[in-house]
Amino acid sequence: MEESEETTSEAAPSFEGEPIKILVVDDEVDLEALVRQKFRRRIRRNELVFDFAHNGQEAIDKLDEDDDISMVISDINMPVMDGLALLKQLNETKPNIRSVIVSAYGDMNNIRTAMNRGAFDFVTKPIDFTDLEITIDKTLKHLALVREALSNRDQLVALSHELDVARDMQLSVLPRSFPSTDHYKTHGLMIPAKEVGGDFYDFFTLDEDRIGVAIGDVSGKGIPAALFMMACRTLLRSRALEGGTPDECLRYVNDLLSEDNENCMFVTLFYGVLDTRSGAFQYCNGGHNPPRVVHKGGEVVPLPTTHDMALGVLPGHSFNSDTLQLQADDALFLYTDGVTEAEGPGSEEFGEGRLDSLLAEIDQADCKDVTSAVLEQVREFAGENPQSDDITCVVLRYHGI
Amino acid sequence: MANGSVLDLSTETDGDTTVVIPSGRIDGSTASPFQEALLKLIEEGKGSLVVDFENIEYISSAGLRVLLLAAKQLQAGGRKIVLCAMRDHIAEVFKISGFSEILAIHPTRQDAINAG
Repeated sequence: MEESEETTSEAAPSFEGEPIKILVVDDEVDLEALVRQKFRRRIRRNELVFDFAHNGQEAIDKLDEDDDISMVISDINMPVMDGLALLKQLNETKPNIRSVIVSAYGDMNNIRTAMNRGAFDFVTKPIDFTDLEITIDKTLKHLALVREALSNRDQLVALSHELDVARDMQLSVLPRSFPSTDHYKTHGLMIPAKEVGGDFYDFFTLDEDRIGVAIGDVSGKGIPAALFMMACRTLLRSRALEGGTPDECLRYVNDLLSEDNENCMFVTLFYGVLDTRSGAFQYCNGGHNPPRVVHKGGEVVPLPTTHDMALGVLPGHSFNSDTLQLQADDALFLYTDGVTEAEGPGSEEFGEGRLDSLLAEIDQADCKDVTSAVLEQVREFAGENPQSDDITCVVLRYHGI
Repeated sequence: MANGSVLDLSTETDGDTTVVIPSGRIDGSTASPFQEALLKLIEEGKGSLVVDFENIEYISSAGLRVLLLAAKQLQAGGRKIVLCAMRDHIAEVFKISGFSEILAIHPTRQDAINAG
């Protein structure tokens, strides 16, 4: 390269953070001093750092050693490996580096070849340093945008991957069928929010006369909540199938979830067992919204709570079971706060009032129709508002002995 | 809804006691900044932490978790967390979840400061 006019660096954009490293490749040894002189202010401000190589091969060696180089400015005619050969290699092996080629004025053949081999831009000899600086800044701006886009993409991929995993975990543990006999019917549904939470429900057929029903809501969202939910569900299932009473089951789950629970995650968990020979429903409520009892005829009342703690918080906590006597055609409706806290116009919540009225109205509908009617009404109420929490509802109806 | 929720935070001190007065909603979207703020106050303070709920309209399970975490941090240093001035529907959340059994809740800020 050769010198031409004076350069000014005052109008240059500033680059924040780390200096940008540029490799200048030219067999003209005087160029190094010239570049350092012309860009001295920006070098002093630690915006730009220059390194120098004297042919294409030397440039490749430097690039292999130094990952920090973002940009290459290269002459074309050089010994050992010329600029066009260098471009070809860069294009194939270092796609993140942008290069600017320096060619003789009017040498359109070489400029075409360089551009076809992936040069980002070119400047002509004799070098106009003002033009070179504008070209450098244009190239660096382009590089910054590319990097930002790449990093956004990677973050987005990671995030959506995490959401997918959490959602899959959550959906994979839901019951695939709804137990029913002549003595009882069940149904349940869970609609995960966009940002996956940790709701779940489960049914356990304990023996031909007894059916267990559980619903839980884990604090927090994403993979941590999904993992905690799976642990809770597996622990409950194992203890429940061994025949534990609801309070025994919750105590067992609580003790294990509380171990090493550094993040203070917790789960509100309700578990109850219906004995179809008697209609007795024995249950334990670990900090969960009280389920609704829908009596035949449409009277809806909250199931008296056993006043137990959410699980995962207090190891050794001892839980209590209560028993409710169900009559033929009474039903239990279990739900999570995604139902009652769904927001409609003006931030008003769906609330227990609306839920109870609806349950009274559809008193004897099929279990499946009850859950879908609740979901439909919650959605209608929420209108355009996005669903911020998982919505879960479960119905167990007793049909008598 | 979680989207666009707002939670503002102001603090006062009374002797060694730090009083936090959050206002707005503590839910999935504000729990994380709330947690950061509380843990910072705990780190900087020496005495008890009083959380005044007078201006809190809503708290989700994510918010409850933050309070448990703060309580655990404080307990590790022999300090206390005291909550106060909850509206009825907020107090109900603490009651249903059982957390009113393990977190001290007082009717007024002064009661809470005295208890801390």
